[in-house]
Amino acid sequence: MPRDPAIKTVLIIGSGPVVIGQAAEFDYSGSQACLSMKEEGLKTVLLNSNPATIQTDFDIADRIYIEPINAEAVRRIVEAEKVDSVLFSMGGQTALNLAMDLENSGMIRKLSLKVLGTGVASISVAEDRKKFHARMMEIGEPVAESYTLTSADYEQQADIISRFPVIARTSFSLGGSGGSIARDKEDLIRFCEWFFRSYRSDSLEVETSLLGLKEIEYEVIRDNVGNCITVCNMENLDPMGVHTGESIVVTPSQTLSDAEYHMLRRAAIKVISSIGIVGACNIQFALDPESEKYFIVEVNPRTSRSSALASKASGYPIARIASKIAVGYNLDEILNPITKNTFAAFEPSLDYVTVKIPRWPFDKFHVARTLGVQMKSIGEVMGIGRTFEEATMKAISSLDNEMSQKIRMYESDDRIWEYISIPSDLRIYAIFEALFRNFDIGLIASKSGYDPYFIWKFRNIVDMLSGLEVGTIPENLLSFKELGISDSIISSFTKVSAVEIFRYRLDHNIFPQYKSIDTCSGEFVAMTPYMYSTYDSEDERNASRTGTKIMIIGSGPNRISQGLEFDYGAVKAIKKLRNDGYTTIMVNSNPETVSTDFDISDILYFEPLTLEHISNIIHVEKPLGIIIQFSGQTGQNMAMGLSDIFGPDIILGTSPTDISHAEDRTHFAEVLKHLGIRQPEFTTVSNLQEVSEKLWKINLPVILRSSFIIGGRAMDIIGDRESLMKRSEELFRERPGFPILVSRYVEDADEIDVDFVSDGRSFAICGVCMHIEEAGTHSGDATMIIGKSVVSPSVMGEIERIVGLLVPAFKLIGLSNLQLASNESGVYVIELNTRSSRSIPFVSKATGVNWVAIAVDTMLGKGIDRRADAAMKSYFIKIPVFPFKRFEDLDPILSPEMKSTGEGMGAGLTPEEAIIKAMAISGSRFKEGGSVIISINDRDKASIPFLKPFLENFKGQVYATAGTHDSLLAAGIESVVVYKIGDIREPRIDQVMFRNQVSLVVNTPSEVADQVKDSFQIRKIAIFRNIPLITNMRLARFVFASMEKRVSLEYREIREYY
Amino acid sequence: MSHRFLILEDGTIIKGSGFGHDSGSYGEIVFTTAMTGYLESITDPSYRGQMLVFAAPTIGNYPLQKGKMESDRAQVSAVITRDAHSTLYSGESGTQLDRFLKDNGVPGIDGVDTRLLVRKIREHGVMKAYISDTPEFPDEWPDPMAADLVGAVSTMSSYTVAGAGKRNILYIDVGTKTSLVKSISEIFSLTVVPYSENFSNLENEYDAIFVSNGPGDPAHPALAKVREFLKGNTGKLPIFGVCLGHQLLALSGGGRTIKMKFGHRGTNHAVTDGENIFITSHNHGYAVDPDSLAGTSLKIGQRDINDGTVEMLYDQKNSVYSVQYHPEGSPGPRDYSQFYSLMAKVVEDYYA
Repeated sequence: MPRDPAIKTVLIIGSGPVVIGQAAEFDYSGSQACLSMKEEGLKTVLLNSNPATIQTDFDIADRIYIEPINAEAVRRIVEAEKVDSVLFSMGGQTALNLAMDLENSGMIRKLSLKVLGTGVASISVAEDRKKFHARMMEIGEPVAESYTLTSADYEQQADIISRFPVIARTSFSLGGSGGSIARDKEDLIRFCEWFFRSYRSDSLEVETSLLGLKEIEYEVIRDNVGNCITVCNMENLDPMGVHTGESIVVTPSQTLSDAEYHMLRRAAIKVISSIGIVGACNIQFALDPESEKYFIVEVNPRTSRSSALASKASGYPIARIASKIAVGYNLDEILNPITKNTFAAFEPSLDYVTVKIPRWPFDKFHVARTLGVQMKSIGEVMGIGRTFEEATMKAISSLDNEMSQKIRMYESDDRIWEYISIPSDLRIYAIFEALFRNFDIGLIASKSGYDPYFIWKFRNIVDMLSGLEVGTIPENLLSFKELGISDSIISSFTKVSAVEIFRYRLDHNIFPQYKSIDTCSGEFVAMTPYMYSTYDSEDERNASRTGTKIMIIGSGPNRISQGLEFDYGAVKAIKKLRNDGYTTIMVNSNPETVSTDFDISDILYFEPLTLEHISNIIHVEKPLGIIIQFSGQTGQNMAMGLSDIFGPDIILGTSPTDISHAEDRTHFAEVLKHLGIRQPEFTTVSNLQEVSEKLWKINLPVILRSSFIIGGRAMDIIGDRESLMKRSEELFRERPGFPILVSRYVEDADEIDVDFVSDGRSFAICGVCMHIEEAGTHSGDATMIIGKSVVSPSVMGEIERIVGLLVPAFKLIGLSNLQLASNESGVYVIELNTRSSRSIPFVSKATGVNWVAIAVDTMLGKGIDRRADAAMKSYFIKIPVFPFKRFEDLDPILSPEMKSTGEGMGAGLTPEEAIIKAMAISGSRFKEGGSVIISINDRDKASIPFLKPFLENFKGQVYATAGTHDSLLAAGIESVVVYKIGDIREPRIDQVMFRNQVSLVVNTPSEVADQVKDSFQIRKIAIFRNIPLITNMRLARFVFASMEKRVSLEYREIREYY
Repeated sequence: MSHRFLILEDGTIIKGSGFGHDSGSYGEIVFTTAMTGYLESITDPSYRGQMLVFAAPTIGNYPLQKGKMESDRAQVSAVITRDAHSTLYSGESGTQLDRFLKDNGVPGIDGVDTRLLVRKIREHGVMKAYISDTPEFPDEWPDPMAADLVGAVSTMSSYTVAGAGKRNILYIDVGTKTSLVKSISEIFSLTVVPYSENFSNLENEYDAIFVSNGPGDPAHPALAKVREFLKGNTGKLPIFGVCLGHQLLALSGGGRTIKMKFGHRGTNHAVTDGENIFITSHNHGYAVDPDSLAGTSLKIGQRDINDGTVEMLYDQKNSVYSVQYHPEGSPGPRDYSQFYSLMAKVVEDYYA
């Protein structure tokens, strides 16, 4: 069937800010969808509120709306752009929820929109657990027994449940949010109490838990005439009970027999056909290997994180093919873009193994590390190898954290067994440790629920590692490399440096070969060089590839402080270089990303971003240079090592020596002093002794930082002596041998983020972003504004003077980012990053300038003309989103430690329009008709008069805690007192938040000891009740002032703002 | 573990580790891209005379279940793998595979860059190969397909299988897989006969004829009797075939078969009837030449989506239907299980 000629203009819905369970994979699938539809000559219109995406870039869709994703925006855009069709299936749960909203309100019919791909009726069968269960019963496919509990009768209803544990599920959940396991009746009742109190729901679905069974997924594609293929399957190492996003996953399945594999495949096709999916989807099974019995767990009627993983694991571009199906083509009409000589109608065959390991934020968040049906991971890595061992070890290397080198866990046997039995990020290392101690393999398998096969494979690795001796590089080094064991692990076991091991490999010619991922196990010729390394015999690289090569590395797994905003830069840089005629080489380990789409670069290496693997590739590809500025801190940390091996010229842009001069805070501070640039008063300390001697007398607060930047862990504001000692001790432990820089915290200052591009002499300012919050909030967590005169001409002049001094002093080439604090006494430099920053995509979207391309030019030696800032006529606000709902034990306040997972952009012709949109994007849309609760600390009470204009005209009830109430009254503002949570008087604050409709909570954290806990409780309740929460007074003032102006929101194509 | 060498007729010599039976071997080297079903493949009689390269890197990763065997023994001349030994010496299932091959007299060679072999075979076509303890290049390269391969795998004596349907069919075993017998017996009762059967005694006792899969060249002289029997019965009884059976029907119907460059062996091939696609399980080194069908009463029902290989033939008038691939899967999908209902319907219509 050819393309449907009725489709002319398609609205593609994006997934909005990155949150846990919904990240870069939708940028990948959404970008592929846009490109794939443009190829068909369709006009593409994009709606996505996330400016960090490639998808929102100018060369992806024809028309771009970076606006809140809601029904109103859709209505306006459909009318303005004469949209006839809409694609929901590439925008994750955000887009599906919007689809259901639009359907339920009749808007899809009213706007006569054609829904491309899977229809809304099918979506609702897959998403609504009741309908889904009914459909499965109808077609005779097994599902776990389910029960509905109501808020009124759950205790009685729990009696009829025959088998525990049960799993509680809420419909339309994302990444398992809101799910939980109850082990017995008492447990369930406790959960119900909490659930019905926390959620505005009067019923709860629970079903028999399939805990402990094997969890298997299939990625299925179905076309318009019902042809169905499975792209690949995925086997979770962690059994049922751990969310698949939290599991270690191997593709293809390793422990399934042919009978099991095809039994599940048949069921997958049957289920997907009965639901009527058109395009891509994912189906999850629980398999009991003892009985060959299985249960259908769920169907995701859209592309998902799993489909991104499956695409990268198999080479089959699921989103691209699904988009072609959405516009009318069938599988036998679409060419396989990897081979270009076979059709999309086939099932990939893999002659390698891939292992995915999630990346958790436990290095940043001090919270419980246990894993379950709720997702906590921020990102993931994929390792590829010819054996399970090699793939696993490459995945571990890609994680780029402490354990990925250390491997060993020096804890008691009992603790090791505990780690094996209770799922956490450390389980895999505990299994290794158990094998080092010769624990029984059968027992490890049964306690962890892992198939014994995997434990046997792990033992091959451990057996090898056990042979290492301190001080010697093993003679059989090649055998280590064949199992994927990294130089840095060998280094951590032998204490021989990784660079020395690299040199040894160079002398003995121990290098990997590169093989391609071709969807067909080599049966057909592949035209697309998508490569991975392995220690085998044949190297498949195309030696005839000519042209000057430039290598770019991505940023690895998404994590707090390093996410898809870096991928944006990497992809833009590749495009620029390809455009200029260079042969581009991309290296990354994150399967969610656009940069690992095999179409983006000339050659793609899916490899760990470690010195070893990057060096191996440089060794064979011999590129002109490597660009590390778009890989976050990962590249910066590698710069010196690469320079040691290949010479400093291998790094394009700011040189490795200058990078380390800027990173060495003591050196940096001295240079600033010499240049006459203001900086907060500072001193350095080298040990705890010095801390107590030097710092006992200093005035607090101060900021403590290690002298070298540790991957985003920027700084801590220390307000008391006790924390001063504690934090110093931690820093010395984390980076032994490195001094700590102690600097005065500039109080009551504005914080300013400046991105600039320079050629070593001249520079251009890309953007100046003003934080709404006062200095001290991590720049990744700050709400920031860019636009017409957000900084005064005098501050702007000072910024230019500072940049003008720094550029030649550090010979800065390419992009840099400068963090400043400004108050009446002047502008102070806080930090300089000699790389592309997190805010570059935001600044690029706000200014409409391709700053990455300009930066790439400077890295290749082109000078830049100092240009005046383009006059901006609009305002853009970058607003963070936080994962507080996932981590009950994490306080939802802003601090110098970054906590946000992603960002949205609110654009407006006025700052007010921009902030109101930004609040809506971050999920804090102010709903009229409710009440507000105000509870602020003493320091912020001075700001109360600024809230007055809004509160005076506010129609709803104003509640305030006792102290705040008094201050409001003093300012002439009426409010009702709410009492503390444990108080016997009423109304208590928790009552108000549970019973009344509350539109906004303003709660600034209290430092008074007996109020700390209460203050925390208020914030937690707000988070769990989905009540908009503001925890910073400056932000509250801005929001209140903007709401007072009652601006009407307009939705504009991005270029209308320039 | 001892070294073992794989020697190809193009001069390639590859060193690997020996496992399975400690012996040399000779055969035609072919590869399969199936990711599951190692035991099903090793015991598939269609692989007789062939050394099997597994493109999937790890073999023996799940337990060897003897109930899943496709014949009573290993049929391949050798097993060539990338990663069987690491599980062999640590995992229990690997040990089973090693012992199984030993018991069946089949050598294995492990630690081989199997992707390199796949790419070589793809470029060069199937080759002759030796497995040996020494890396010496032999002088003699006889054609492994010249032997009477079917004779080695066809049943020795007839037997019956009481099936589900009331119809009784003559099932000619030219090297059948167990699961094919099982699948066909779900619709018919079977009398399974060897390829050497004296077919003249069999006329008029059956409702239909079925010809199974099997190894080697369909034009091999040893199969002349079968081809003649099929020709003589065309139009008299409904006739069905799978794999080698399909090729034999093409020959008896007046067509020709050709040896393919490197064949189709895998579980991911899409075939199309022009409207629908089916993912099917393939294992064939020969194919029906579509040009040779002009002037015959055979029509092409399905083709491979990528290279156009004839995957289904039919002759409606004479009630002849056959598929080149394996509707029974094992290993692989069973997307075109309609073939069985089609057979049942053809027989019913014939006697209606």
